[in-house]
Amino acid sequence: MTADLTQLFEQHYESLVRMLYRRTGDRDRAEDLAQETFARAVAAPPNNPRPWLFAVALNLVREDGRRTVRQGRRLELLRAEDRPTEGPDVDFERQERSASVHAALATLGERDREALLLKAEGFNYEEIASTLGLSKGAVGTTLARARRRLVEAYRSEARGKNAAS
Amino acid sequence: MPHLDEGTLHALLDGELELAEVKEIQNHLGSCAACGSRLHDVKEFLTEADRLVADLHTPAGPAKVRREPAPPPQAARVQPPSAHPTADARPWREPVWDAAPELLLPEDPDEVVRRRRRTRLFRWAAMIAVVVGVGQFVRSGLTSKTLDLGSSERDIVLAPTPTPPAVVAPEETTRQETPQRSTPAAPVTKDRAPAPRPSSGAKVRAEEPTADTLTEQFDTMIMAGAEDTAPTQAADQVIAGAARADSDETERRAPENDAATREAAARALEELDRERLRSRANAATAALPPPRPEPQATVEAAPRTLEQKAQTYLRIGLDEAAKQLGRPMHVIEAMSPEFIGLAQGRTVPGADPNRPVVRVVYRDTRNRMILLDQQRLRTGQAPGAASGNLRWILGDVMLYLHGEPGNDVLRNLQRRVR
Repeated sequence: MTADLTQLFEQHYESLVRMLYRRTGDRDRAEDLAQETFARAVAAPPNNPRPWLFAVALNLVREDGRRTVRQGRRLELLRAEDRPTEGPDVDFERQERSASVHAALATLGERDREALLLKAEGFNYEEIASTLGLSKGAVGTTLARARRRLVEAYRSEARGKNAAS
Repeated sequence: MPHLDEGTLHALLDGELELAEVKEIQNHLGSCAACGSRLHDVKEFLTEADRLVADLHTPAGPAKVRREPAPPPQAARVQPPSAHPTADARPWREPVWDAAPELLLPEDPDEVVRRRRRTRLFRWAAMIAVVVGVGQFVRSGLTSKTLDLGSSERDIVLAPTPTPPAVVAPEETTRQETPQRSTPAAPVTKDRAPAPRPSSGAKVRAEEPTADTLTEQFDTMIMAGAEDTAPTQAADQVIAGAARADSDETERRAPENDAATREAAARALEELDRERLRSRANAATAALPPPRPEPQATVEAAPRTLEQKAQTYLRIGLDEAAKQLGRPMHVIEAMSPEFIGLAQGRTVPGADPNRPVVRVVYRDTRNRMILLDQQRLRTGQAPGAASGNLRWILGDVMLYLHGEPGNDVLRNLQRRVR
């Protein structure tokens, strides 16, 4: 079981943190949630780990989001954007684009967003359906809606910024 | 065939359709311009959306891959990060499973190997201690037993010279022994090492108790006539007696006839006695470990995480920090903390040892760790006796700035604490 968990961690931790970061926009929070997810995997080792891990992680995001809203908690001090790793121009540009994409993602429905993020992690339709509790046939429609809305929201965001500047 | 919906087109582009479905759709697309146009749009959205999501890079940062020891069974009950830490929180080395969102990972295989090596070392040490103890016990038992054989036996053993005294007092036999042992030709001492000298006493003690050295010690004890006396003390007595023996030698001449008989008997008995001692000593030392290379004195230290280095036992957020302090946390202006954690109060001079201290951990441009400790003062509580320029009070919060940079750097940073 120990070796399995190590393997599980090595296989999925990075992908899970990446998905959670895309979902939350906060690296520290993403890492904390990923750790919490693996802690739960230790408690109850899953049979089908990948969908299980991502489903638990997304549930944690939802729970955490509700709690954050209720308590008015803001973890901006620990935001990953506070740690520049490249030149200021490159970093600024990337941050701008990331902020726009995050804003666009935020306009999507919960399920659409999650389907999109899972797809970006290489999930196939069956895995997405299993993780989100959808039928396989509904995944294509969900992704179609999510992609269209994301692009439209991003373009709208970019237009707004250009108009403002 | 009806027009293709967007979902089907996405599934087509994502490679999720069966071959038969793909062929059917291709046939339709060949004859339906509207669906062809829609496919073009769908491809554009799909490509751009996936690119946007993929562009959301995870910012660089130290991956929180913490390889903690395997958690106890109750570790399953991990609470969310917001759980309130208790005042009697344990040190960070023992993960607080009820409160801390620690990553529960299996044991590092290297750590297992290191632990086994340490255990083996302790096992050897314990075995050596037991063997030495048993050796002491056996030695004292043998000594008393041998001495119980009576003074006559000792007389015989200690009368190897061609002209031994006819009657030798037990005290004198002790004095007589050493000069004889120092003569290589003497039959009694032919297979023994030279008598220990005071200067070599320490060396004798430092040596491993091998079978030969143990036998030597036993013999020395017997000949010194010192029951329950340490070997080195016995050796000292032998040497002290040697000086007296030299001066008294002429007084201990005896008839030669008796001497020849006694000498023959002495050799036989002594040989018997020595054999018995040797076999017992061998048995006592049989359990000693074989010589082996010195084990690695320093076990490789496991790489330390920043949390360990900062001696925090729990990471917390701003909310929790504010709850601890009863006000928003103080920070160093224009610096971004690596994280906020809780440290034990007793590790911070001047702080209340029974309550945790909020520790804001920074790294400066030279990667040196800077810690800003904060603790709310209780009514009537004064900061501890140890005070310094870098410990001060803002409102009802005691602050303590310390870390790897020198005091000058820290004093500059102190001015920026808000």
